[in-house]
Formats: sequence, C-alpha cells, structure tokens
Amino acid sequence: MDKGVLGRRAVLATSFGATLAAPLVARSQPAGSPVRIGFSIAQTGTLAAGGRPSLLARQLWMHDVNARGGLLGRPVELVFYDDQTSAATSPAIYAKLLDVDRVDLLVGPYGTPVQAPIMPMARQRGKLLFGNFSFRANEEMRYDRYFNIAPFGATPDAWPGAFVRLAHRRGLKRLAIMVADAEGTVTLGAGARETARSLGMEVVYDQRYPFNTTEFSSVLRAVRSARPEAVYVGSFPNETAGIVRSVAEIGVGSSVQLFGGGMVGLQFAPLLESLGDAVNGLVNFQTYVPERTMEFPGIREFIDRYAVAAKAGGVDVLGFYLAPFNYAMGQVLEAAVKAVGSLEDEALSRHMKSAEFETVVGKIAFGPTGEWRDPRMVQVQFQGVRGTDVEQYRQAGRQVIVEPPELVSGELRMPFERARR
Amino acid sequence: MRSWVRFAAGGLVVLLLAALAARWLANDYLFFAAFVVLQFVVLATAWNILGGYGGYVNFGTGAFVATGAYAAVALQKLADLPLPLLVLAGTAAGAVLGSALGLLTLRLRGIYFAIATLAITIILETVVLNWDYVGGARGITLDRPHEDPFFGTYNRMLVVLMAGMAVVAVGIARWVGVSAFGRALSAIRDSEDAAEACGVPTLRRKVQAATLSGAMMGAAGAPLPLYLSFVDHTAAFGLNYAVSAMAMPMIGGTGHWIGPVIGAVLLGTAQQAVTVTISSEVNVLITGLLLIGFVVAAPRGILGWLGR
Repeated sequence: MDKGVLGRRAVLATSFGATLAAPLVARSQPAGSPVRIGFSIAQTGTLAAGGRPSLLARQLWMHDVNARGGLLGRPVELVFYDDQTSAATSPAIYAKLLDVDRVDLLVGPYGTPVQAPIMPMARQRGKLLFGNFSFRANEEMRYDRYFNIAPFGATPDAWPGAFVRLAHRRGLKRLAIMVADAEGTVTLGAGARETARSLGMEVVYDQRYPFNTTEFSSVLRAVRSARPEAVYVGSFPNETAGIVRSVAEIGVGSSVQLFGGGMVGLQFAPLLESLGDAVNGLVNFQTYVPERTMEFPGIREFIDRYAVAAKAGGVDVLGFYLAPFNYAMGQVLEAAVKAVGSLEDEALSRHMKSAEFETVVGKIAFGPTGEWRDPRMVQVQFQGVRGTDVEQYRQAGRQVIVEPPELVSGELRMPFERARR
Repeated sequence: MRSWVRFAAGGLVVLLLAALAARWLANDYLFFAAFVVLQFVVLATAWNILGGYGGYVNFGTGAFVATGAYAAVALQKLADLPLPLLVLAGTAAGAVLGSALGLLTLRLRGIYFAIATLAITIILETVVLNWDYVGGARGITLDRPHEDPFFGTYNRMLVVLMAGMAVVAVGIARWVGVSAFGRALSAIRDSEDAAEACGVPTLRRKVQAATLSGAMMGAAGAPLPLYLSFVDHTAAFGLNYAVSAMAMPMIGGTGHWIGPVIGAVLLGTAQQAVTVTISSEVNVLITGLLLIGFVVAAPRGILGWLGR
C-alpha cells in the first residue's frame, strides 16, 4: 500500500506554512480507527503528470482535516495504489480497496478509461464513487451515487463547445477540427463538431492524426489550405508540443483568427516551461487560472501552499488544472460527512445530490448524473508570456479568460498570427 | 498413458479447487488477482509453443489478446451471444490471425519475424482505433450480468472459466511437447535447414504452431472485456502482455510445458502482490530485473537451474 510516495516529505514541507497561512482553531485530536478513503491514482503511465498533483492536493486536505479534528472525530487516512493509467489494472486494485483494505469512502481513478471498469463495481457494492476528471463517465449507467469533481458538465458540448461558441460569437464561420486518434480527443472533436453544426458553422477540415505524432508540418499545411477561421485542436502533451512548435515555424495562415481549444498539456508547468513564449495567442481550456474573476475564498492560500509542497515533492509547481479540484473533493466529502453524521453511502449521496458546497474552487452543486449542475470550463488566451519562467503564470493577465462571458477577464486578441507575436 | 491420467486428475483437482474457492471464499480481491495470473498461465503457455518449442519470438501477444477481446465485443454487441460462444469466437479469431501471421511472416526468421509481430500489433491497434462499432478510441462499456447463480458473482465464474482454459492450454502444451509435432518444432528451433533436410515440413509445422498459439491467446483474450466490463485499446493491446508472456516462459524454462506455468504463477503472483504493496513502478522493475537475471544466470530458466 502506498501511503506517501511523494506525500510525507512534501506535505510536511508545507505544514509550517499552512499553520501560518491559515491559522487553525485548536481542536481535539482525532482518535479511534481511521476513516479510510481509497483510490487508485496514476503515478506512472500517460496520465502520471496529472495524477501526482491530484494526490498531493488530497494529501494536503488530509493534513488539514486531521488538524481540524478529522471526520466524525476519527483521523482520515488515504489508501492508494498506482494504477499505471491502465484500465486493466484498476479492477483488482478497487477489489482490494473494498475487500482487503475495507475503505469507507471510494474515489475514482484519474482518467476516463481507467475509471470505466470501476463504475459497475461501485454500483454493485452500492458505494458512493467520487470521480476525478472522468469525462461523461456516468452518461450511460446513470448511477445515482456517482459524482465528478471536474467542472465539465453533463452535456457533450459543455467542454469542447466553449471554443466553438466563442468563435461563433466573434462571427467566425469556417471551422477546422484536428484531433488525435485517441480516447478523449476524439470525444472532444465530436463535441466541437456537434456544437458547430448546431450553430450553423461550416466544418471545412475534419481529420484525425495518429496518436503520438510529433511532426505536424504536413497536417498544418492541409489545415491552412482549407482556409479556416477557427481551428479546434484536440491533442495530448507530446502532440501539443509538436503542434505549437510547428505553428511557430510555418504558421497556420492569415485566415485563422482562433487556434487551440482542446490541447492537453498547456495546463501543466513542465510543458509551459518547455514551450516558453511560443504559447502566446493560443486559446485553450482550463479549469482555474489566477484571474480576478476566479478569486474564490481560500484558493490563493491553497495555491501558495501547494506550490511549496510541489517543489519539495518534484510535482507540477503550478497545479492549476487538477490540484484545487482535488482539494475541493476533500472539502465536499468533509462537508457531506459532517452534515449527514455518518459514512453511509446512500445518505451521503442523497445529501450531495441536494446540497451546495463551498470550496476553494467556488460553489459546487451536482446535477442528476453527478456532473456539475453548472459547468464551468473556461477558455483562456495566453498573452504576454515572456521566456520560460513558469512563475509568471501566477500573475493575472498571462492566461486571460475569454469564455464563458460571465468569467471573461480580458480582451481576446485576434487574428491568431498577430496574437501570437 | 498413466502420466496422462495423472495430468487429467491434477487438472480436475485444480478446477475443483477453483470452483470451491469461487463458491465459498469471501474475498473478491483474490479472484481479481487470480484471473490475471490464470490468464498469464494461458498466454505464457501459448507463447511457449511458438517461442519455446519452435524458437520464433512473438512480440505480438497483445495483438492476439486484443483480437480475442474485440471478437467477443463485436459478437456480444451484434447478437448478445452466450459466453462459451464468445470464447469460441475469440479462439477462432486468434487462430485466423495466427495462421495469417504464419503464412505472412514465417518465411522471416529471427529478429525479422519478431519485428513483423510488432508491426501486426500496431496495424491491428490502428484498425481498432478507427472501428467505432467496438468503441474505437474511446473504448466500450459492456452490459454484462453482475450475479452468477452458482458462484455468486460473474467475475468468480470468469475465474473458474479461466482456470478451465489454463488446464486445457497446459494439456495442449504437454501434448505438443511429447508429440511428433513438438519434435518437429524442436528440430526447427535447433536448425531449420537441417530439419527441412530431414524431411520436416517446416512451413506447415510453423503455420500450425502459430495457429495453435494464436488460438490459445485469442481464447485468453475473449473474457477480458467481460472481466473489465469495459475495454479500450490501451487495455487490450497492453505492452505488459507481450513482455510478461515472453518473460514468464523464460523465467520458468522454455523447454518443458511446466516452465511457463511456473513462470506465470511466480511472476504473475509477484506482480499482483507488488502492485498493491510497494508500487507499480517496482512491479515493472521486478519483471525487467528477473528477465535480465535469468537470461544471464539461468538461460534455461528455473527448470534448467534445477537441473531437469
């Protein structure tokens, strides 16, 4: 059992800072058998870059909740294993969590395919399952004890549609869609296509490229020849790096006003550091950025504490995309257990369906399928990025929110060729 | 003849123990772990027929597992066939792929054959990625029963099924080891030209071995989507299948039917234990270190080391 692969050193590194940043009211020490929260989390494999910040954020929450007296007066313990980002590994791990470790609460793995085999198991055992950024995992099963901490929303276009709606609002009519031939990005492409169709936009280019492609000059030339006004890209980190570099070298044509949308990797510090100012002008999805329209109570303090722990643990130092939401997951569970007064799955689920939760990522309420009732994926435009220092992303104005309208924090720069200079 | 009776009795005991455990043991985790280990017994045994007896290294185990898995998915979606027919379909699909591999690439030897098996994996994965009917890149969730009237849960029943498949696979490997077919494969492994000169129909035997090996791998892959309730290309074409199916016979010993069984039980159990005790990174490291250690210190595996 892993109980601190990166956690102890990193979490201890922040404990002093945490005490200063958020003085805690002295509470009685939690006692008795621990409340065990079990999950698998990618520490290796393709999603490890996201799994490690998620884990660190949960460990920070565990530290905080235990300092507040634990859950129901008992200390909280995280029981977790590395699933290698593999759907073939997760069923055995969750069987162990349930039958051998006998965890009280169950959190899903990071990533949609890794979680898919867990859904039937959770339903069969009647366990509450808190998903970690799985995309529409409960759409078919509609399990009434499933919840997702990601702000994706339940409709297929809530996430990828934001980019297309932005393009449509700006009067753009010709859309190109280029996505990796893989889980996730194909779904994103389908959502973008559906939104474009519903808005009456013309899709002038719609192709998949092989997963893990790194050289994109021929693909970009084909996109360019279609003369689109907006280009929706669904890519994974290696491909994102290849696309950004190819765009910097050969451009994408003067017709393009907006470029980006679904590029995975631009949410994480290592890729931002590697790409430097080549990201300027790109419009892309995010869940949280330090802009004035996303100043939720406690988020600044959390991000600062996370940064200290991340540096000590060798994890993504920004952690904007996943870490606050994984901390919020703990806050939701904490509030629900406190309100219900037990760890009983049915009672907790019933409460979570009806209540609204105050968290570091704002207020969260869940809809019928367990997704956020009010989706809140944002599209940001990289502006004024200089050099490769990722610390600049802690300032407002580097990732300017341009969609949805109620969260807009700055002016969208177009066309793309001008915006990226 | 007496040894076959003993083997059959041993196989029946294994099946009986699996059935009794499925009926009476309370811990479901053991069954999830046992499914993986038993699946590796089948895969390692199947790999050994072509790789151990015949000397042709197959890096495409993942392709065969996926062929069986996706054949089952397609037929379940198309006609909602019962499990035995899905396993038969997976077996047939694996056999067809095996014979195609034999016909296409068995004229290649050594490293060229190994590269061709890798290429087949890549080709098939690309086909699956673009075949939306079986989930394409997104994967597919299967609606299968959770309960089983006799064993309690469907997964427990799958473990008993996999135990049966392991017994049959080992029985086939045992027969190959002592038959003229097996001796022909050994002759091919030692010197293909000499075997040909002695009158061994090498191409036919190699195609037969590839077909048999492929059929067994396809059979092992067929229950996978039902075990997971979901399948996607990363789960079905996992590199772990190729590496482990090759490492297990090499660790146990490739010259005898029991070698892959020893390797699969030891390495498979160690992998399962390490995954939930130390970490998965160490799990992969252990496989690699054991493989290197055995190749260097005991090239004939545990059996050779024990002097059999």
